[in-house]
Amino acid sequence: MSKDQGRVVVVPCSGIGKPSGSVSREAAYELCESLRPQNTELVALSKLVLGDAATHETVARTPCVAIDGCQQMCASKMVKKSGGTVIHAVAVLDAFRRHRELKAEGIAELNDAGRKLARVMAQEMADTVDAIASAEAAKGESHA
Amino acid sequence: MPEGLEMTAGKFTFRVPEDRLYTAEGIWVLSEVDRPSNRIRVGLTDYLQQHSGDVAFAFVKPSGARLSADETLAEVETIKTLLELPSPVAGTVVEVNPALNLTPEVINQDPYGEGWLATIEPTDWGADRAGLLGPREYLSHMQSQVQEELEKP
Repeated sequence: MSKDQGRVVVVPCSGIGKPSGSVSREAAYELCESLRPQNTELVALSKLVLGDAATHETVARTPCVAIDGCQQMCASKMVKKSGGTVIHAVAVLDAFRRHRELKAEGIAELNDAGRKLARVMAQEMADTVDAIASAEAAKGESHA
Repeated sequence: MPEGLEMTAGKFTFRVPEDRLYTAEGIWVLSEVDRPSNRIRVGLTDYLQQHSGDVAFAFVKPSGARLSADETLAEVETIKTLLELPSPVAGTVVEVNPALNLTPEVINQDPYGEGWLATIEPTDWGADRAGLLGPREYLSHMQSQVQEELEKP
């Protein structure tokens, strides 16, 4: 089994100065540092934008979860432009539509609702990461 | 997209079609009263929708609702803020854009077209029309608003 098998790359929005950008990044930190550190790798969108070769290679060979802060969908677009595959895309706006009580405010420091929205999104993505890992494991067994 | 005016501030461009009137709050009013329908169509300006952010929910008073001018016609909640939009005229709501239920983001995608909010049959169009801004007046008002935003610390 390769070291990437069952792992996903997580690419959040890099929107600075907007609460939804902060929610994207908080959700990514929660997922990659707390919930599923063993199955995820956090990639900064800026590295893709700046053309970092190693990051492009990682994105190209690993399934990606994109977290988009707004309808510009920069994270999803940059993954595709970098030759990667978005296996799952989530948007802060859609999460807010499902949890209207969690209105994110603040930029340098998110309010409680914004942090909670990020945790909710991270938990939902963790389920997706688990499903990917299970599918990869099943594929590995069938090849054994 | 109808012909129009526009202004650019940094990476943002705000369009102002010349075929309609405006309120200072950022609602456009397209008159259809010269047609048999005797209605006006209303929506958010490009500046208001860009300034307010991605729309998450849009609730418009239902058809049949009677409104006085400046009474709340719609509430539009974006990722950033909650807008209470006053009716630009007194009258009766005739139709609400059905697309707003499932795809309220159409307000961001096409504010002067598919993203309209409602049609209204005005009670006294002549009187209410006099209080609305022409495209150039609205452009000038919008430029002042943009300037204020830029000067904020």
